[in-house]
Amino acid sequence: MFDLYLSAVIFGLGISGILFLVSIGISIGFGLMRIINMEQMVYYTFGAYMTFALVASTGSFILGLLAGTLVAATAGFLVETQLLRRVYGKELMFTMVVTFSVFMIGIGLVQYIFGLASKPVGMPFRVIVPIMGAQVPLYRLMVFVISMSMYVLIWTFLNKTIVGKAIRAGIENPDQVQGLGINIRKIFTITFVVASGLAGFGGALNSPLVGVAPYMGFDMLLFAFITVILGGLGSIKGTLVSALIMGQVMSVGGTIYGPLAFVGPFMVMFVVILFRPTGLYGVKGRAFGFEE
Amino acid sequence: MNQLSRYIRGPLILVALLVIARYLFPSKMTFFWEVSTFGIYIIANDILYGYMGMVSFGQPFYLGVGAYAAALYLAHIGHNIFIAISLAILAGLVTGLILGPAYIRLRGDYYALINAATCAMGLFMVEKVLYPITNGDDGLWYRASMHQTPFLNLKMPSDVFWFTMIVLGLVMIFYTWLDRSTLGAAFRGMKASESKMKFLGYDTFKLRWLGYTMMCVLAALAGSLYAINYGFVNPSISEPARAAEVLVATLLGGPGSVYGPFFGTLAFLGIKDIVSAIMDRWELAVGILTIIVCFYFEGGVWGTIQTIGSKIRGRTANQTGAVSIKTAKGGKS
Repeated sequence: MFDLYLSAVIFGLGISGILFLVSIGISIGFGLMRIINMEQMVYYTFGAYMTFALVASTGSFILGLLAGTLVAATAGFLVETQLLRRVYGKELMFTMVVTFSVFMIGIGLVQYIFGLASKPVGMPFRVIVPIMGAQVPLYRLMVFVISMSMYVLIWTFLNKTIVGKAIRAGIENPDQVQGLGINIRKIFTITFVVASGLAGFGGALNSPLVGVAPYMGFDMLLFAFITVILGGLGSIKGTLVSALIMGQVMSVGGTIYGPLAFVGPFMVMFVVILFRPTGLYGVKGRAFGFEE
Repeated sequence: MNQLSRYIRGPLILVALLVIARYLFPSKMTFFWEVSTFGIYIIANDILYGYMGMVSFGQPFYLGVGAYAAALYLAHIGHNIFIAISLAILAGLVTGLILGPAYIRLRGDYYALINAATCAMGLFMVEKVLYPITNGDDGLWYRASMHQTPFLNLKMPSDVFWFTMIVLGLVMIFYTWLDRSTLGAAFRGMKASESKMKFLGYDTFKLRWLGYTMMCVLAALAGSLYAINYGFVNPSISEPARAAEVLVATLLGGPGSVYGPFFGTLAFLGIKDIVSAIMDRWELAVGILTIIVCFYFEGGVWGTIQTIGSKIRGRTANQTGAVSIKTAKGGKS
């Protein structure tokens, strides 16, 4: 019994890693640009599909990982510079509908190129490590370790570099940052490209675990939103903590009662929105979409 | 009398056009029936989105409430179709009254997402928790247990079409009234600035609750029509993935106008019909189209028709309509 739950906890850590990577874009997008990034999961889907294509053709997972991240970042760059610039400063509803259509276009493109069927992606390695009696695939541990090192990298980027400090200042107050002579548009583009690259990286990492399907981004979108809301919009640390919680809810909950793996997060979101809409680490102020 | 004809003229013309179209293209009857039913569903969403400015990603849930209320009654308890429809409406009303106070306190994005969560949880209830009575993914089949009804035999699709026409006419009359009444103006006012509405002495909480309940009832009504026409219901009716269709159709038609939802439905289902004949799926075309509509045709199909019409007629006729749309779009102050 104990080993069952131990392996569930470790599986949950893997899920947390993926959730964290794909949710950062939504969290920062809301905190910095004041838009709701529904299309963030397009990059997740693109990353996963690039990995699928490269693993199928060359057999190299690392190549797939790199290509997935690059393609996702490029797509993010194109979308930000060509489309989202026209959306900044508009109503939240409007940004939601526009980015959702981008999401639909992405799903349509994937369907057009790769077809409708879902496909499996080969595992890069199948090593199983025994930890205190539980059999754990090494790959899931790797996913967790990689995403945690990503968190450290992001934290260093935001706190130790001048660009990162400008981004953090932008989350607090974009107008003041612009007043200091910093080109906020450029900051937006950099942040967006990094975030979409991370989402693509998350998709590439997740593809061996769940396979690829055109609508794979849809459930993930809802889970990512739940993660972001539980953590508090615009907070990286909050996103990490809530990703850790959500992973356990899905994995341990699913072990106790199967369907909880899907519906558990929604229950959490339900409770959080109704009783503590600011989330765990929410920043008060404009970032909440409430009319003051 | 003059007052009354103002509300009745438009809906009657609309229904008459649909009936004419149905006899001009007899093979397309199902399409026109779906336009009418989906139209009611979109009207429900438009009260929420177009008038009160609230986006919801969980509209299929409210459709499913009506469909399952009617289906459960027909499959397990009784045989009377009219009672099934009344029960669906009642279920919508109860849903609106119970969930309303909790949900409408939330604004904007949170409201949209809690609806998505509700939709996912509703699907879960139907598929897993209520399996003994809903039959899970297999759905409920009850066409055989439906009794014939006098005047219009609702077991026949062609008679369901006529019944839907009557319902659509009534809903459109109600909707036209809503658009021109103080209530509709209050909804628009809330969209523009809630704090100002409060200052003017309106209880915005009650107004929202009322609008939300109206939405629930109309969506449940549309759901029951689906349930009766098809004779079976399965969980795919309330899949969260279908929430996008509703928003796109509302936006396409022109949110916050009387005939917008109807034309949006016509355009959306028409495009879907045409595109799916060419491509496998319609996501790509609908996505591109929505972006174009968002940026270049803010009023949607109906707004564009209105603009062209008023240009032709020398901008005298539609002035009131144009002004009301402008004030509604005035944005936050």
